[in-house]
Amino acid sequence: MSEVVWPPGMQVFERGWVSSNNIFFADVDADADADTGAGAKGATLVDTGYGAHAAQTQALVAHALTSSSLSSLTRIINTHTHSDHIGGNAALARAYPSVEIHVPVGEADVLRTWDDAALHLSVMGQECEPFSFHQTFDRDDLFRLGGTEWRVLASPGHDMESLMLYCEEYRLLISADALWEHGFGVIFPALELSNTVKTIGGTGSSAHASFHAQRATLDLIASLDIAQVIPGHGAPFTDVNSALARANARIDGFIADPSRNDRNALKVTLAFLLMLEGRLPLASLPERLAGLPMAQILNARLFAYEPGALANFLCQELIKARAAKIDGEYLVVA
Amino acid sequence: MSVSIGSTSAPVPSPCKGVCRMSADGQVCTGCFRAIDEIAAWSRADDAFKRAVWAKLPAREARYAEPV
Repeated sequence: MSEVVWPPGMQVFERGWVSSNNIFFADVDADADADTGAGAKGATLVDTGYGAHAAQTQALVAHALTSSSLSSLTRIINTHTHSDHIGGNAALARAYPSVEIHVPVGEADVLRTWDDAALHLSVMGQECEPFSFHQTFDRDDLFRLGGTEWRVLASPGHDMESLMLYCEEYRLLISADALWEHGFGVIFPALELSNTVKTIGGTGSSAHASFHAQRATLDLIASLDIAQVIPGHGAPFTDVNSALARANARIDGFIADPSRNDRNALKVTLAFLLMLEGRLPLASLPERLAGLPMAQILNARLFAYEPGALANFLCQELIKARAAKIDGEYLVVA
Repeated sequence: MSVSIGSTSAPVPSPCKGVCRMSADGQVCTGCFRAIDEIAAWSRADDAFKRAVWAKLPAREARYAEPV
C-alpha cells in the first residue's frame, strides 16, 4: 500500500462510519496570479462529515491548511448530499466565508428547497445545518485538485445523483459510498421511503432500477485503472478486485431478494444512532426506534415486530455483525 | 456481511469510535483520544506510527475520559 503515490498536497482524513472521510487538497496552482505568479493559493475539501462532528472537521482542515502554508479553504466538493457527507459545510462556510461549495447537479433542487425527505434527515433521525451552494458539477466535468486532473464519474445506486472523482495520472478513485472495501452504502432509492424519492427514467420499479444502476456503477469502476480507492468510509484500499467481487455478490443478492437491502437499512438505522451516541440504554431502545420513521416503515414492511421485539431483534443483529455489544444495561459500540 | 462497519485492510486498525468531538482543551478526540495531527496523518501513516499512537491512548483516556 505504501507504493501508492498521492498527488502533492493531498491528505485523507479517515473518519469512521458516522462521518464520511474528508479528502483535503492544497491546490497549489489554483487561482495563482497570472502576472506575478504569486498568492491566491486554494485548498479544497471533498466531503465534510456529519454535522455533530463539524468542529473536529474544522480542526482537521485548519491543521492541513497550516501544514500547507495556506490561510483559507476555498472550495468544498460534495460527492452527494447525505448528512454524513455535507454536515460540515455550514460550519466551514462560516469559518472560511470565501469558500465555494460545489454540489452534484442532480442534488441542486433538493438542496435549494432543503427537502428533508429527499435528504433522509427526519426519517433517519439525522440533523444537518442548511447551507447555500455556489456551483453545480456533473459527470465528465474536470477538477484540478492537488495539481492534477480529476474527472467526474456518475455513480447512481446508493444515491442516484452521487458523483465520484477519478484521477487517471495517479490511478486514484474517490468512490464515496458507491464502493467500500466491504460493500457499499444502503441503496436508498430502493427503500422507497417517501413519494419524493426520485424516479429513475421510467424503467419500472425504482428498487429494480437502482439495484441495476449500482451494478452498472460497479462495472464502471471495474473498467478503470485503479491503484487505490479512497472510499467514503473506512481506510483507503488497493485490492480493488476483491472489493468489487464482494460488492457484486452483494448487489446480486439484493437483485435476487430486494428485502435484503431493506433489512440492511433497518439495521443501519440503529447502528447509526448507536455510533452517534456511543452507548444506548437497552431499556430506551423501543422508544428510540419508534422515533425513527425509517425503522418504522421498514419494520412494518418486513416484520411488523412489536417495539420490544424489534429492539431485541436489531440488538442481536448488530451483535452478530460485531458492530455492537452489551455492556450491563447498555448497548455499546463493539 | 450484513452491516459494513469498521472493516479495514490495514493491519493496525483505526481507533476511531465515531465520537469525533475534541476535548474542551482541544488536545484530543474524546472518542479515540488521538490528537488532531494523529487523526490527520492516520490514513498515510505506517504501522510503527499507528502502534506508537495506540500505545499512548490508555494514558490519555485515563486523563480525559468523563465519568458516564
